[in-house]
Amino acid sequence: MKRMSRRERILRYALLLLVLVITIGPFLWQLSTSLKSPAEDVYSDPPRLLPGDPTLENYSGVAEIIPVWDYALNSLKVAAANVVTNCVGASLAGYALARLRFRGRKIAGLLFVMALLVPLESIIIAQFTTMQQLELNNTLVAVVLPGAVGALNVLLMRNAFQALPYELEEAAVIDGANVWQRFLRIGLPAVRGTLAVVAIFAFMTAWDDFLWPLIVLSDSENFTLTVGLNFLHGTFQNDPRLVAAGTVIAVAPLIVMFACLQRYFFRGVGEGAVKG
Amino acid sequence: MPSARPARRAAALAVVPAALSLLLTACGPGVGGPATSAEGPVEGDITFQTWNLRAEFKDYFETLIDEFESRHPDVRVEWADQPAENYADKLSADAGSGSLPDVINVSPDLAYPLADAGVIMNMDAERATAKYRPEYTKEAWDGYEMPGLGGTYAFPWYLNTGPLFYNKALLEDAGLDPEKPPRDYDALFRYAERIAERSEGRIPTLAATPTIENFGRYGVRLMNEDATEFTYNEPAGVELLTRYKKLYEQGGLDAQALTNTPEKAGQKFLKQRVAMNPGSALDLANFRNNAPSLYENLGITKAPNNTGRPNMYLMGLAVSDQSEHKPAAIAFAHFVTNKRNQEKFGHQTAVFPSTRGSLDKDYWSEDDGTAAGRVRVNSAQSLDGAVNYQPVVMNDEMETILRNEIAKALQGDKSPKQALDDAVAESNKLLRKH
Amino acid sequence: MRVRTHRTVSPWLFLLPGLAITLAFNLYPFLSTAYKAFTDARTLTAGSWVGLENFRQLLSDELFWVALRNSLLYVALVVPFTVLLPLLLALLVEQRIPGVAFFRSAFYTPVVASVVVVGLIWSWMLDDRGLVNSLLVTLGADRVNFLGDQWLLLFSAMALTVWKGLGYYMIIYLAALGNVPRELHEAAAVDGAGPVRRFVSVTVPAVRSTMVLVGALSSVAAFKVFSEVYLLAGPDGGPAGADTTLVMLVQRVGTGLGGRVGYASAISLVIFAIALALMLLVLRADRKEDAP
Repeated sequence: MKRMSRRERILRYALLLLVLVITIGPFLWQLSTSLKSPAEDVYSDPPRLLPGDPTLENYSGVAEIIPVWDYALNSLKVAAANVVTNCVGASLAGYALARLRFRGRKIAGLLFVMALLVPLESIIIAQFTTMQQLELNNTLVAVVLPGAVGALNVLLMRNAFQALPYELEEAAVIDGANVWQRFLRIGLPAVRGTLAVVAIFAFMTAWDDFLWPLIVLSDSENFTLTVGLNFLHGTFQNDPRLVAAGTVIAVAPLIVMFACLQRYFFRGVGEGAVKG
Repeated sequence: MPSARPARRAAALAVVPAALSLLLTACGPGVGGPATSAEGPVEGDITFQTWNLRAEFKDYFETLIDEFESRHPDVRVEWADQPAENYADKLSADAGSGSLPDVINVSPDLAYPLADAGVIMNMDAERATAKYRPEYTKEAWDGYEMPGLGGTYAFPWYLNTGPLFYNKALLEDAGLDPEKPPRDYDALFRYAERIAERSEGRIPTLAATPTIENFGRYGVRLMNEDATEFTYNEPAGVELLTRYKKLYEQGGLDAQALTNTPEKAGQKFLKQRVAMNPGSALDLANFRNNAPSLYENLGITKAPNNTGRPNMYLMGLAVSDQSEHKPAAIAFAHFVTNKRNQEKFGHQTAVFPSTRGSLDKDYWSEDDGTAAGRVRVNSAQSLDGAVNYQPVVMNDEMETILRNEIAKALQGDKSPKQALDDAVAESNKLLRKH
Repeated sequence: MRVRTHRTVSPWLFLLPGLAITLAFNLYPFLSTAYKAFTDARTLTAGSWVGLENFRQLLSDELFWVALRNSLLYVALVVPFTVLLPLLLALLVEQRIPGVAFFRSAFYTPVVASVVVVGLIWSWMLDDRGLVNSLLVTLGADRVNFLGDQWLLLFSAMALTVWKGLGYYMIIYLAALGNVPRELHEAAAVDGAGPVRRFVSVTVPAVRSTMVLVGALSSVAAFKVFSEVYLLAGPDGGPAGADTTLVMLVQRVGTGLGGRVGYASAISLVIFAIALALMLLVLRADRKEDAP
């Protein structure tokens, strides 16, 4: 990669910039709306891209209407728990499906595939009834549980473990390492990249989920951010600047998290094996 | 949150076997425990659920609850507020599992399925609630009367009207007098034709297809007496749709009218791209804050009407039929909707009380000279004799059927008559299955 | 070759958390949905057994066939793009050139931005007076009513799905590309292979199993599409419902207090069956390629 020619470099950056405009443009517009002052017409036609008189008061405005930091904390708890349960649960299950041979493996794999196909819209009420019988309604635990080990994440981890060369583990088998030791010392370090992906997906799913937390939570002190931000819509509140500020508050942590984790995507099998 | 981690994992694992065994018995909705008694001492803990009111009126409700609790020291009121979206889903989950709040904020169309499933109280059936009937206007009390279920199922709460907003500048551009907005449908269609013609099709007058409420205001009979069949395919209904079709072809209806949601239609009005849009008195603040350039050109009038009876939107408070503290729930629901508290709420924002005599008060009958005051008084006057046209038995699916058939007629796939006949037939089929 | 077969309990201990959650909160509730498909249950009433009545009704429901066609079309037209474009994008940002971390994060923003916001922005761009049409007019073309025509609406929604999937599948590919030994690329480069040949002969074989996985995942996601169509075409699913998809249909007939849960469950079962068939088809295609 150090041998990239000047022409290739220019072409690369041109392409990067093109995709950048397509992907981030709409988001910048939202950011711009959130910075517009009350004096500015947000429905002007054609729309104005830059705020005339930038202000942060919409952000404090959001905090005045809803306890946005409490909601963000709830979301953070739910998302962090979801990351932990998914990383642990999905890597365990993925490892078993990819690297261990046992009776029933195919069926177990098929169960996860089937779980992926269930239209969630059709089971949400049944899930709610279950939570009620477990007396977990209106708790953050109930928000986390149904997605605690996502089938998608299990399949991702299985795919990652499958890609590992078997030679990697053979040496360990000869050394007499048992299955747990092989999983922890050899398997896991080698799939750190995919584990980072699972962490991001788990965080994002939990952070963005709306319908399930809305249904399972009743007290507003337990609300997560997406549910709470919905109070900015509707009959009595209709300020697009506030809605935009709310959106930025909701999205910023995800981007920060992604920016922190993205470097792990490069630690694939090669490096992992050497270090592990 | 490393400290919480082990506990959560342990909890998660412990509940799973329990979940499996419980699920074996969990089948079907758990609707309809026995009704509890409405008579008795006012005591106990009750929950009160509102629909998207906390953000703006936190202080009002907290004061209200404190006041009630100090009058009834044996009652504790827990207030929960739900966001705007998916409220029906939330109620479904609660009602389906037998955990409805004791006092619930419902609109008439939400009250109907709850009443039909027997999970909210019939206010006319019990002396404890029927005695309050004279305190509310007749139209409001009737608004919560559920056809075929023998009574009213909620205390009426706040009301709203649907004025028509119009853009004075766009009317002027078409050579129309901005001080003389259309009063009835004839005038509306005439204006629309003129605006489309003068702007060479650039400015449509309306951004949305007609709703059932439009048919009502046009003078179409929407349902038969006992609300067992839809009848909006009668000649007057076909006539209205035929006129809309002509309007669509002339460019008087937005090109995206077939897919516009009310929000999108509203935004087109905010961007001054359509000349008129129905709304509520609450929109005024939105216009002022978010679209100052429109606000300068804003005109407000009563929604076009051929019947002489304007439309109103109403909200009410229902009481769960399985409430464990029904006397307290009734007392609280009545307290929130009594004359004094409704009027106080009406002073908070642009909604109107449904209690008898309230709208004769100066605040709602004397023009104080401000723009807001003028709209308020106008709206309050238009509530005199107003009814809720939307049939309570018409659920979301039936509304979708109507919208889709209207779209087919406007696109020319079907004649207006055929489209309405089909919509009525399909909706009636759903009603009968019920 | 495989590591020896385990007769111990440990494989099941590995599977326990995942399997327990999946069974308890996903598959088991779906059994009750499957049961309801044969009843006339509504949201607030349990209903009674009606046998195959719901399915019979499905066959004569015009909108069901429209929805089935739209959902299948969605898979056919979206999946090739969601398999290929994110891979190319991943290759573009894979190398450590200055500023690439910024680009990677930027490309991920459409994934994290809420669908509602994205829907609003796209509606604004595709509006008959919006950005795209302004561009067309500047170029001397006629205005296109993207949001008023059933097919243009459906294609716009597909473009939105591809756009939102770019960053999502990109990171799955990035993780997989980390597994491609660099020596392979470098050897090929020394051989004088151009970028296209290197892509076909080195990259694709190395990430093939991931391409199949992405293909399978995006097929299922495309088949169950809801938000994108809902936001652009509106809750009715386009003019006269012509853009309705299967999941939109489930949502329309099954939710709300008067929802026909029995009928909606029947549609859900159909969705499940077809999605399962799709998934098995994709996975089988993978195995066939494996054979030689």
